[in-house]
Amino acid sequence: MQPIDPNPFLIVGAVLFVCGVVCMTTKRNGIGVLMGVELVLNGANLNFITFSRCTPLGLDGQVFSLFVIVLAAAEAAVALAIALNFYNNHLTIDVDRGDELHG
Amino acid sequence: MHDIGSLVDQLVESTKTSVGLFVPELVLSGTIVVLLLCRILPLVWRVPTQWIALLGAFTAFGWTLSQFDQLVTPSEALQVKTLFTGLLKFDEFSTFFRMFLSLFLILTITLTVLTGIPDREDAPDFYTLLIGATIGMMIMASANHLLMVFIGVEMTSVPSYAMVGFMKGRRQSSEAALKYVVYGAGAAGVMLYGISLLAGLTGTGSLPEMAERLSMIVAQGQGISDPTNRTIVLASLMVLVGLAFKLSVFPFHFWCPDAFEGAAAEVAGFLSVASKAGAFALLVRFGLAFSGQSKEVSSIAFALGIGLGVLGAATATFGNLSAYGQSNMKRLLAYSTIAHAGYMLMSVSALLVLRFSKQAGAEADVASLSCIEGLMYYLFVYLFMNLGAFAIVALIRNQIFSEELDDYNGLGTQCPVLCFGMTICVFSLIGLPPMGGFFAKFAIFYSVFKATSVHWVMWLVLAAGAINTVFSLFYYIRILKAMYVKPRPDGARKVTYDLMPVGLFVLMVCLPVLGLGLFPARFSETFHHVASLLLTGR
Repeated sequence: MQPIDPNPFLIVGAVLFVCGVVCMTTKRNGIGVLMGVELVLNGANLNFITFSRCTPLGLDGQVFSLFVIVLAAAEAAVALAIALNFYNNHLTIDVDRGDELHG
Repeated sequence: MHDIGSLVDQLVESTKTSVGLFVPELVLSGTIVVLLLCRILPLVWRVPTQWIALLGAFTAFGWTLSQFDQLVTPSEALQVKTLFTGLLKFDEFSTFFRMFLSLFLILTITLTVLTGIPDREDAPDFYTLLIGATIGMMIMASANHLLMVFIGVEMTSVPSYAMVGFMKGRRQSSEAALKYVVYGAGAAGVMLYGISLLAGLTGTGSLPEMAERLSMIVAQGQGISDPTNRTIVLASLMVLVGLAFKLSVFPFHFWCPDAFEGAAAEVAGFLSVASKAGAFALLVRFGLAFSGQSKEVSSIAFALGIGLGVLGAATATFGNLSAYGQSNMKRLLAYSTIAHAGYMLMSVSALLVLRFSKQAGAEADVASLSCIEGLMYYLFVYLFMNLGAFAIVALIRNQIFSEELDDYNGLGTQCPVLCFGMTICVFSLIGLPPMGGFFAKFAIFYSVFKATSVHWVMWLVLAAGAINTVFSLFYYIRILKAMYVKPRPDGARKVTYDLMPVGLFVLMVCLPVLGLGLFPARFSETFHHVASLLLTGR
């Protein structure tokens, strides 16, 4: 296994993270926000895989990313169910339209 | 390379001992499986699911209680300190929180039985979520590895989202759940990115190992201008964002009032206490993970402590100020929850400041003991008083079908037991003697006072805490004024309820609030012992 330069991978991870955060903050569509969350999680995942190759983290990094994939799936399932429920009650998934709770 | 055979032997040995100590969580997991089977098997379907859930919770509580009992008896201290090859910590501190959480699970299930919020059709799902979230909090409290930190936080969050949106037909409930899930998932993502940076920089996920390597890395660099050090600070801040969200600390508190108002009062009570307890245990562990030999790491942790103190003061102030104008009981209590998180954060801040100050010595060690002791005491009192307040809101809702403060007018004469219980809880939340809340607040302010000798900012924190306590009096008194002073409007719904089970539950929650206030010494001794073992046993 020849050594690799971690920087390109970390840069891609960081770009994914920033894209995800921007997506979360600017999208008004509930599903769009959740897509932003997935981008952030995958940016972190890419970091874990890179670190598992380049640092003493080793296999721990890969286990980390496997768990993250599973948890992201669980979270997406719950989040989509909640978005669907919101749609049933409000006939929209525009997060800005949820404005009945305030004060 | 390791010899595979010895590695497998080691793994089997570690798993064997770990499983024996992990039984409470396993029992709860088993309960979840049984509850899910209830849906499938028509025969089991006849057994009311709340009794199955309650049985599981009682077993877990009994087991953790006996573990705690064994651990605090000095002669019989168990030698095992970590479970599953260092993924989880097994010590007095974590066992205290596991016991605390399973006790809380029992009380919450009892409350839902009394109020009947999940109907028979939905009960298995509801208790599955409730128990699942509790297991997540237990893992959070005993996490010793970054992976477990993340799994614990997610295992707590995901069922909480679903529980907030549990009342499917209500517009408010679905809105609250959507807001909670969007903000929560975002915070978890940011936290995970921070964890990935920390794990990559130190090359390990284990918290104690991480502390050692952090001090090595930081010692090599040149102060805060070094890019590696900056990354470490950034990554720690990202992890703290995730924790601050769980704790509803300013400026990450905005989800809390919305989620609590939309959720059922039972769920709001559960989230307000249990998820805070888990997150505070995790925060203390994460903070103490910085303790190394090197001066540089200490200075980072010291700055963190000061920062947390300022945040705690801001949180308490913001929570109390916003609570003042509220007309919905659940929203008012949600803001009071935020304020209490602020007070508790002050004690964590005092802990970090005292422990990582430059003149650390025997005196600072004793003082930092009192910080953890104060935090545990506060959480223990908080369990009863906050659950009591939310429970009474839920029980009154079942009578008058309203959670608005104006509809509470004149209830004092109509349901004296519930209103008296509310009075005790409210007095304790304010922090009036002889309720438990007084001693809890006193312990926290005392530890902050100790920290003032280290850094002047802590004086500001202490002042903010004191002013807030006075200020909180006004909006808590509004509840009592509505119940006892204002007259019941004509034509308002008559309140009738059977005294026995409801009265017993109120008694069960309010007696400990009084007891913790009247006999503080008994409890604080145990907490003191646990705190000293946490600080020295590592």
